[in-house]
Amino acid sequence: MTSERYSFSLTTFSPSGKLVQIEYALAAVASGANSTAIKASNGVVLATEKKQKSILNEEHSIFKIEAITEHIGMVYSGMGPDYRLLVRKARKIAQKYQSMYDEPIPTSQLVQRVAYIMQEYTQSGGVRPFGVSLLIAGWDKNKPSLFQCDPSGAYFAWKATALGKNHVNGKSFLEKRYSEDLELEDAIHTAILTLKEGFEGQMTADNIEIGVCDKKGFRRLTPSEVRDYLASI
Amino acid sequence: MSSALLPPFPEPGFSFENVERNVSLVKKGFKPPKFTSTGTTVAAAIFDGGIIIGTDKRASAGTIVANKNTNKIHKISNNIAFGGAGTAADCDQMEKMVRAHVELHRLNSGKQVPVCVALTKITQHLFRYQGHIQCALIVGGVDKFGYHLHHVYPHGSSSEVLFEAMGSGSLAAISHLELNYKQNMNLDEAKLLIRNAILAGVENDLASGNGIDLCIITPSGMEHLVDYEIPVAFV
Amino acid sequence: MSIESYNGGAVMAMAGKECLAVVCDKRLGARLTTIGMNHSKIYEINPYLYVCLPGLATDALTVYQRLRFRVNMYELKESRKISPQVLCSMLSNLLYEHRFGNYFIGGVVAGLDPATGKTYLYAMDCLGAITIGTEGFVTGGHCEEQLYGTCEALYRPDLGPEELLEVASQAFLSACDRDAGSGWGAFVYIVTKNKVELKSLKARMD
Repeated sequence: MTSERYSFSLTTFSPSGKLVQIEYALAAVASGANSTAIKASNGVVLATEKKQKSILNEEHSIFKIEAITEHIGMVYSGMGPDYRLLVRKARKIAQKYQSMYDEPIPTSQLVQRVAYIMQEYTQSGGVRPFGVSLLIAGWDKNKPSLFQCDPSGAYFAWKATALGKNHVNGKSFLEKRYSEDLELEDAIHTAILTLKEGFEGQMTADNIEIGVCDKKGFRRLTPSEVRDYLASI
Repeated sequence: MSSALLPPFPEPGFSFENVERNVSLVKKGFKPPKFTSTGTTVAAAIFDGGIIIGTDKRASAGTIVANKNTNKIHKISNNIAFGGAGTAADCDQMEKMVRAHVELHRLNSGKQVPVCVALTKITQHLFRYQGHIQCALIVGGVDKFGYHLHHVYPHGSSSEVLFEAMGSGSLAAISHLELNYKQNMNLDEAKLLIRNAILAGVENDLASGNGIDLCIITPSGMEHLVDYEIPVAFV
Repeated sequence: MSIESYNGGAVMAMAGKECLAVVCDKRLGARLTTIGMNHSKIYEINPYLYVCLPGLATDALTVYQRLRFRVNMYELKESRKISPQVLCSMLSNLLYEHRFGNYFIGGVVAGLDPATGKTYLYAMDCLGAITIGTEGFVTGGHCEEQLYGTCEALYRPDLGPEELLEVASQAFLSACDRDAGSGWGAFVYIVTKNKVELKSLKARMD
């Protein structure tokens, strides 16, 4: 390779044994927009705030919550462009799996493989870690699942969690509100309330996004559906 | 997963490791193997509400009926399907590849995928392999641009048609279509036309038979009629 | 002569009511010479799942080893047992990877779900074109033609394990008797929800 001179890894250990690049990436996540996810008994909800920087922005053309397959969806906190690359890769992984085994990819497998890519970007030359943490929701064989993927390539399974600027308050709010027999409809309400913790200004259907995953598969709620949920709080 | 750190498994793409051995075996006088062929009659037409594709259900290996219940209508998405003739494995794998491609396109664009996306993928793939991937297809679908029917030959050529027949039974089927096709047919007329075209193939071609499948694509969706008719005398 | 029939050999799988028979002959030939009399073409993936690779013996061994590697990797990665459908798809893809320069073998996948008793039968050609065994039996190998005939005639749906053994053995031995390339006895696996029996059948040795 001609670029070999510059292809050393940017993520190198500090003398104390830390990988500061990864910590900076996590800092990018922790300063990003809030997102939250809750696993209910009959589905999973993903929710995120989508603050517009200007009133001139067209609100419903770019989405933060994306479908990966019919039964898996994803949201992030952190850097949007990095996220979109991971979305594309995740979709490709899912399709490859489907072609290879003639079976939809289990959510845990997708998470493992996405996490693998994120890990690779902490150990390869000429690249930097991803500035995002992902929340991945899926429905496999009558069971909901919810995972988080970090820039380091670490991944966790959650019952409910929050990411972004307000993740500490969000998590402690969820700890108080979560129960094992939560149903999807209640979970959507709880997710909206979690976002409301520390939400600056008025919450509307234009500045939050919600996705749900249940036995019918994954889908993003339309602005009018979100408006109905907001009205009933 | 491809990666610099860990090589992908299995390696993507075809493996050519046995080619030399197999060529030398043929040179030594061993007959080349016979593949399962669809030995098909596939016919399709545009009617006033959409697209209709019909196939027979037989797969043959030489003179053996290898499968009496073959599905030769390959669904790509909610609005696109193709009827395949030729080597069975090639048609099956083509479906898998194009379906994955179209689904990625749908997810990444957020819109219904136009028929030309599937068609382009198919013809480019076939052309790359210079006719060695042996599928002759009729690709049909409905999208925002209208109703589309294309035939595709194994070398990658294609053209848009109003009606078409493909496969070993195509001679009988196309003559029926040529005689009886008219524009602006309704669904029942179209079903009868395709049924009779396939039946002509089933009766006149040894490699076609065992029943008829139909697939109807309209703007409101796709209807796959498996075993639309099993002519009693030809089971 | 086709290279696929160089070693001879035939396989068959038949489904009964919550049971499964997987059968292969014992002959290994080199053209018309018999060089082995105890050669199984059935490979056990797990006690409820079998794959038969009839055809050129050298390719069968290679394909089995490569398939085994992929199955092991799958089971380790996903920490679950492979299902018959996934195995079938995996073998089909493995064979199609060699679309140009193919292996000279067919493939039969036979499995039983120990929880429900549902049976799964698949057959494929040397390029991996799958035939789902909806009729209750799948065949492969040198006397495929004869096997189709005997199975069509003798198979009945919903057989119990004992009857299935009888029917499958009878169908298989009758077909092999009319084929010089296979025979010398047969191995029969009778798989039920809680037991697997391996029977060794004696037949003409000529």
